[in-house]
Amino acid sequence: MAEKNYIPKYEFRIFGQEFPVLEKLINEKAKLVGNQTMNDVYLLTAADNENNVKIRDGKMDMKVLEETLEGLERWAPYMIGDFPLEMEVVKSTVFPALGIPSPAFSRTEYLLNQFLNELVYNDPDLFVAHTSKSRNEFAFNECELEITDVTINSACIKTICIESEDYEKVLETKEILGISDSEENVNYPTALKRVMGLVEIPGMWQKIK
Amino acid sequence: MAKEELKIGEISKPRFEFRTFGRDFDEAAYLMSRLSTPVPRKVWERTSEEIYIVSKTNDINNTKIRDGKMDIKTFVQEVDGLEQWNPLMKAEFPISANVLKDEVYPAFKVEVPTFDKDTYTFEEFMEMVKSNPDLQAVKVEKQRFGYMVNNTICEVANVFINGASIVTVNSESTELDDIKKTITDLELEGVENINYLQAIKRIIGWIDKPLAN
Repeated sequence: MAEKNYIPKYEFRIFGQEFPVLEKLINEKAKLVGNQTMNDVYLLTAADNENNVKIRDGKMDMKVLEETLEGLERWAPYMIGDFPLEMEVVKSTVFPALGIPSPAFSRTEYLLNQFLNELVYNDPDLFVAHTSKSRNEFAFNECELEITDVTINSACIKTICIESEDYEKVLETKEILGISDSEENVNYPTALKRVMGLVEIPGMWQKIK
Repeated sequence: MAKEELKIGEISKPRFEFRTFGRDFDEAAYLMSRLSTPVPRKVWERTSEEIYIVSKTNDINNTKIRDGKMDIKTFVQEVDGLEQWNPLMKAEFPISANVLKDEVYPAFKVEVPTFDKDTYTFEEFMEMVKSNPDLQAVKVEKQRFGYMVNNTICEVANVFINGASIVTVNSESTELDDIKKTITDLELEGVENINYLQAIKRIIGWIDKPLAN
């Protein structure tokens, strides 16, 4: 069910309100290759940090953290499933990935609205982040870069990401763009959980500058 | 009876309030700035860091901690879609167990825990909040710009909820008609009145509903 021929990339991502210097540099040095808008529904729990579970374009889209290397993360898709989803898949794949016990199931398969209304919204351990992303995509130094405006349940944040199959290229690009080694690599589930208060928030996370 | 003249930053009778939250209120903010009478320099721009304690079982008490002080307001009534909130209590940390037991936890509308000390520091209180699954501490930073329109206290503010930004505009006064005129003048008619508790709960995913825009 995973995407065919997809080679997982190493990723470095940051979140913040504004990155004027970094954005200027990317716009000057990198080539704009596309832009996309997308609406995703993330399913989050306080329990799990190694799975990224979201619904995009009406499909269940799950990634797992496969490797961390030199402060970079490599996430691999392991399930992209169309609704209706079989109950067995929800039970054996989705809920274990969320790190919480499966609920009682009353159906053999679930349409998207049934999945959300009967299994997600009723579960006190499951939280939903409605996100809307407006993403500018760039190519630079054999890496893919993005600058994305994200709304999380209507609140706004920005993310910048560098990714490549070659981790050394990501590190090199970080250096060229002047991103310090102390800058925290924050993946989407972690950022969403911080905004939603599901995990401890580091002291300097997004303070007014 | 003569209308009370409101002064920003001064205590008055309990005020009614229209407030809303969203991503973009540029037009209302522009109108507010143009329609405003001069306001004291001290309210032109104010920043603050606060911690709101939200409770899954409570929508009528607004609890926040600012500068080491706990401040609880309680919902009094809604008239014509405008909300009136009254101060319920203020207390400085360390707070006595009796105050927590008799005033703070009842305001959260959750089970009152057992207290094994006479007083609690801010850090100890936050640990208690963390251990209760029905409570959540939310970091809120505000950058507020104050105005006075139609003798109502107004503000437009950038608000950061756990680091994500939203915008709020409000108008508050003891006089309902002055707020209604201000809503019209700011072209905010039909926009949902959303208080802080509601906005925070929507963003942290406790209420599955978007903000006003």
